[in-house]
Amino acid sequence: MRLNMKAILIIPAYNEEENILNVFEKIQEYNKNSERKVDYVVINDSSKDNTLKILQENNINHINLIQNLGIGGAVQTGYKYAYQNGYDIAIQFDGDGQHDINYVEKICKPIINKEADMCIGTRYLDKNESEFQSTFMRRLGKNIISFFIKVFSKKNITDPTSGFRAVNREIIKIFSENYPTEYPEPESTMELLLNDYKIMEVPVSMNERKGGKSSINLWKSIDYMIKVSLALIIDSINLKSRKSRNVKNKN
Amino acid sequence: MTINLKIALVIITFIYIAFILKEVKRKKLQISLSTFWLISGILLIFAILIPNLVENLTKLLGFEVQSNMLFCITIFVAFYLIFELTIRVSKVYTNNISLVQEISLLKNRIEQLEKEKK
Repeated sequence: MRLNMKAILIIPAYNEEENILNVFEKIQEYNKNSERKVDYVVINDSSKDNTLKILQENNINHINLIQNLGIGGAVQTGYKYAYQNGYDIAIQFDGDGQHDINYVEKICKPIINKEADMCIGTRYLDKNESEFQSTFMRRLGKNIISFFIKVFSKKNITDPTSGFRAVNREIIKIFSENYPTEYPEPESTMELLLNDYKIMEVPVSMNERKGGKSSINLWKSIDYMIKVSLALIIDSINLKSRKSRNVKNKN
Repeated sequence: MTINLKIALVIITFIYIAFILKEVKRKKLQISLSTFWLISGILLIFAILIPNLVENLTKLLGFEVQSNMLFCITIFVAFYLIFELTIRVSKVYTNNISLVQEISLLKNRIEQLEKEKK
């Protein structure tokens, strides 16, 4: 691994008082044991619980959003921070302890070797490696989104909703300028694919949530599915027309 | 329409226009947004004062009753307005997000600089 490349974990956190300290300790432990250190920044999305207090008391590097923006807006703040501070790699990492810090090396490798512009940590590539098998609804949702991405970009992405992703400097710049805030993961994946950036997937395993509760129920997921599909369709039409216009201008 | 009703309607419409102008003057309403409301007021006055205007328009457009045409036009205009407001809200929403991000990033920067100072 090239040692001069600076990497940062972007950790969005909303009401994660039970998990955030744990995540922070794991990062420190990881930094002690591995040759290459990763920086981190926690984005506190105006949590209503004691997340901010924990962040301040333990001297954890954090950005405190003055209003609640939702996951997309929080993550984009992280990309802006990464861009302003000159990082070469940014890794999206959940604040709820779902993601395993030991996969950071693996997820960064394709970026460092310049094999890909974005690398997604996927739960479904290798069933044996993943102990985390999510519910039927989640899998169905993922398949529908994958299907849409396949239709519009003709590329296979197994887990377009995974929030465990690493990107290079160029993508950091793109995301810091323009990041879809409503359905961030699938929409940004689609956007990159349509702009001919290379996306790779590596299998990772994820932990169950240790505390707090996930905010997913049946109606919400159906609503989510419909809106994401619509967003993907609109995005792809927009991008395609923009592209053809660019081609015309060049000619 | 009796003459009494006409006078009453014209007075009400003038109050309506005066109300809009007052809000513009108090800077509660942007001038660019006020034009729609002002024009609607002026059109109302024309519709009341010019004899047979609404009646002829109804015949011209092929409606059976005047009230049908008026309701139809009103609903279309209302839909258009709501749509335009949705667009404005979306824009304000995006602007708000980037403002919150920039301020929060700046706050973080200030905190770091203060720490370095100590």
